[in-house]
Amino acid sequence: MAETAGKLQTDLGERSTYDAASQCSRCGYCEQSCPTYVATGREPLSPRGRNQIVRLMLEGRTPDRDSVKEALSTCLLCGACSTACYARVPTADIVLEGRRMLEPEAPLIARILGRLAIRRPRLLASLLKIGYAFKRAGISRLGRPFLRAAGLGALAEADASMDEAPREFLCDALRRRPAPESPAWLYFAACGPNYVLPRVGLATWAVLENRLGPGRFLNNACCGLLSYNYGTLVDARDAAIRTVERWEALGNKDAPVIADCSSCADFLKRYPRLFLDDPAWKTRTEAFSARVRDVIELLGVEAAPARTAAPLVYHESCRARHGQGLAAPQELLRSVCGEGYKTLPESDMCCGGAGAFSFLHPELSDEVLRRKISNVARTGAQVVLASSTSCLLQLARGLRKYYPQARAFHLTEFLAQNDGTKTRA
Amino acid sequence: MKSSWEALGRRLSSDALKLSPADLDAYSYDAAPIRARPDAVVLAREPEDVAETVRFCIESGQAYTARGAGTNLSGGAVALSGGAIISLARMNRVLAVDTASREAVVESGTVNAALQKELEKESYFYAPDPASWKVSTLGGNIAENAGGPRCLKYGVTTNHILGVEAVMPDGTSAAFSSDDPGPDLMSLLVGSEGTLGLVTKARLKIAPAPVGVATFLAGFPSIESAMDCVSAVIAAGVIPRAMEAMDDVLLRLIEARSPCGYPKTPAVLLIELDGEAAQVAEESAKVEALCRAQGAVDLRSARDARERDRLWEGRRGAYASMARLAPNVLVEDGVVPRPKLSEVVRRIRQVAARRGLSIPLLFHAGDGNIHPHLTYDERDAAAARTAHEAGQEMLQACIDLGGSISGEHGIGCDKRAAMARLFGHAELECFRRVKKTLDPGLRANPDKIIPLPQEEAAAGPGRRPRPLSPYALHLAEKIRAGAAQGCRFAVIGSGSRWRNPPPADLIILETPGLNAILDLDAGNMTLSVEAGISLEVLHWELEKKGLFLRLPKAPGTLGGFLAAKAWPEARQELLGLRILLPDGQAADFGGKVVKNVAGYDIPRLVIGSWGAFGLIADVTLRIYARPQSKTAPSRPCELFKPNVWHRRLKSAFDAENRFNPWIFAP
Repeated sequence: MAETAGKLQTDLGERSTYDAASQCSRCGYCEQSCPTYVATGREPLSPRGRNQIVRLMLEGRTPDRDSVKEALSTCLLCGACSTACYARVPTADIVLEGRRMLEPEAPLIARILGRLAIRRPRLLASLLKIGYAFKRAGISRLGRPFLRAAGLGALAEADASMDEAPREFLCDALRRRPAPESPAWLYFAACGPNYVLPRVGLATWAVLENRLGPGRFLNNACCGLLSYNYGTLVDARDAAIRTVERWEALGNKDAPVIADCSSCADFLKRYPRLFLDDPAWKTRTEAFSARVRDVIELLGVEAAPARTAAPLVYHESCRARHGQGLAAPQELLRSVCGEGYKTLPESDMCCGGAGAFSFLHPELSDEVLRRKISNVARTGAQVVLASSTSCLLQLARGLRKYYPQARAFHLTEFLAQNDGTKTRA
Repeated sequence: MKSSWEALGRRLSSDALKLSPADLDAYSYDAAPIRARPDAVVLAREPEDVAETVRFCIESGQAYTARGAGTNLSGGAVALSGGAIISLARMNRVLAVDTASREAVVESGTVNAALQKELEKESYFYAPDPASWKVSTLGGNIAENAGGPRCLKYGVTTNHILGVEAVMPDGTSAAFSSDDPGPDLMSLLVGSEGTLGLVTKARLKIAPAPVGVATFLAGFPSIESAMDCVSAVIAAGVIPRAMEAMDDVLLRLIEARSPCGYPKTPAVLLIELDGEAAQVAEESAKVEALCRAQGAVDLRSARDARERDRLWEGRRGAYASMARLAPNVLVEDGVVPRPKLSEVVRRIRQVAARRGLSIPLLFHAGDGNIHPHLTYDERDAAAARTAHEAGQEMLQACIDLGGSISGEHGIGCDKRAAMARLFGHAELECFRRVKKTLDPGLRANPDKIIPLPQEEAAAGPGRRPRPLSPYALHLAEKIRAGAAQGCRFAVIGSGSRWRNPPPADLIILETPGLNAILDLDAGNMTLSVEAGISLEVLHWELEKKGLFLRLPKAPGTLGGFLAAKAWPEARQELLGLRILLPDGQAADFGGKVVKNVAGYDIPRLVIGSWGAFGLIADVTLRIYARPQSKTAPSRPCELFKPNVWHRRLKSAFDAENRFNPWIFAP
């Protein structure tokens, strides 16, 4: 068994994993919020089912590893169930504990990637650049059958689902920027914008600079979410410690730390849960986490007069909506788009991206995605905005496949483009 | 056995059969405390999957239990005897919405909220709104005859079902609707908790969404004054769409969890009116005046959606405030005649004090439906037992006050034993025979609803029977004596609806002597009356008192009117019914409560039976404080031709074909 947390931070306070899972009264009010239950109609693939399964595991009544594994591995960790739950049972954290109990150790590929991202970001960057060069040359496509044959189907899926292969990473660009003594904000470069979608990070920087004044790059490595979800808790804690040490060293403790990937922003905000048994680091991470902001919560209403924009919808990334409790910035969007802003049905339901989920469970992910895209299509939108890298990649893939009339952008990309239009006008 | 289940899998839609241990574990519970592991799970996509599974279970001697969303609070969806769980969750299409005929057709796995969402597009709604409406399925709502706050005005699920298609325990499929000639099987299936037939498709009544809504929140100086206010509102002829009550124990919990500024009084009522704007305005004035007259100390009203949300905030957060106290919340579900509400609250508090528990009360006061909430941790066996026992004592209080043990949650296995305290042996036997004739192998959700013989023995005598009138006793004696000699009977009421005289060799049972008003309760708005009374006379008697029936003024007896199904809509008005069986025994079903899901709906089944299932001795009906205008004329009555289901049920009530034997002549 991999190391488990044993204790979870819940809405009702610190609880053992067993107490947290037993808090589920089986009322079932979460069921329709769960994308995998809605897609399959199967109880083991529902939040209530997963809580019961982990509870049975903790009671030593685990029936069968393989069938348990399916139930736990198919959880998107979107957290919509906890939003629906009266007692806010933290099902995603309970599922992760179940996965840790199930696996003798974390998958090798996740451990390697996690550790590279946390400890050797520059090495990872170099490796990725080589990989991207292959991809641009069309060579990686040829490699996919070999990856599948080697039992690394997930990597082949990952390759197939990526169309972004940036030549320069975000951190390279940001390191060249000036570092003001007392910046109005600090920028945390999440792995998504950094390695996959630098255009998002550049847009965020421009938007923030326009609105808040000069900022400073934290020059950080991975936040540790990858390790928390797929690797080990040891690595996740290591990432947290490195991030917080880096932040403390900068000495700008009053400035907000802004991230533009909602998954990472949510994880950064919840660092203290990694240190429930380590009072010193719990205190230090609390100080840091209190400063973290998702970029979507910092953008007020635009003063610019509304102009008629193309029909646009907003997909609420799970780690914003359910993780941080941040709903779609509706007033902002109305102020920018006027009538163009349409309400997306089920906007708070997961798109099926969910980190590595889309490569690990491609069919289920696609089923969840189709529901999302058909909701988009129903509004006639031409633009879909979101705030998490995983959503942006997943939505881009889904739109290309099922509804090519629309394209997906990060909220800040849209605002930056709007700023540009205004400047020219 | 596993391999034989796999044989079933080959007969089903692809991916329908699940046998993995995780699946079996995940289908071993619903929202009630009990768990039992099935042997197989079938995720039906088509009605044919359901029928194939039922046929397979018959062939292989297995039990089966239907499951919708598994939100049942009484263990109704738990496979007590193993066998197959048949999940209907994948059969979730809304097949038709027809606003012209005000009907919707759905597959039974459709979630209540999904239908509402479709209807909203047309500014229509479907009235039943159980607390679980966002997740529970319409099939589950039908199986449990679910209620909800709005049912005070609009009626519970059975009042909104027009027809069903079901897979019956013999593996055949059948369709039933409320206006089929003959005994009303559709009504029998509603609320039968999957023990008689599995509904795969249903036709539901829909209505235009009301335009006007007004909401009031009022604090009262005592539970009594709040309950008096409830009775006064109903007696004034105002039927709010919701009348919810909370006691101070609950109010303190809500305030501690999510402050919403409710009045700090011993009781709070939340009253909501809807309808045409002018009518809502008129009723609002009445409600405000009545609240003040009953001593409301802090009366607030809302005219728009935002203000309304503010007033509902505390009520909506009520369950959450309790769910956070402990892992498990036992939501008891008793129902009493409305004027007994204060008394039942007093008795529930005695139970709480005796057991040292704090029991917050949240209830649908307008319906007399009370939900005491007991919080505990099921891992603590003693605490779980205490909660269960306290719940049972509260149900006993409801029985003692002339109420019932379930207003909307169902019996399942959780309240099965308590059924023996609510009903006598004659009624329980009647349920058993109905079950046995439709499901001779006892495979459909076995051991639900009906107490096991040992449970019945342990419960002692059931509820004290209501005395029969001298004329009813005379009829019962006549039947007993005749039956002992092997005679047959003609149950003919006053004879007004029969075209031909009954065959000559029968003992005639006429009912015009059964004409007493047994109980007229204007505080509860219910009437119990003997069935031989002339319907015209009954209207006249009530109107003298300023009270009204929602039935046409038809000639003949009330019992004949019902037995001949002269107006199928009469099922909406029926709360209880006592019949004399062909051995002279009386069996008493339903009662003076407006919401009651304990046991099979025998009263509605008997509508349309033309005396062949039993002689209707007396009837309990809703009454109204205002004339009920839109009553359609009764239709000409055609005697029904019994179908296979009628024949089976006939044997449950009258195996020797003594009552009106010509109807069921081979």
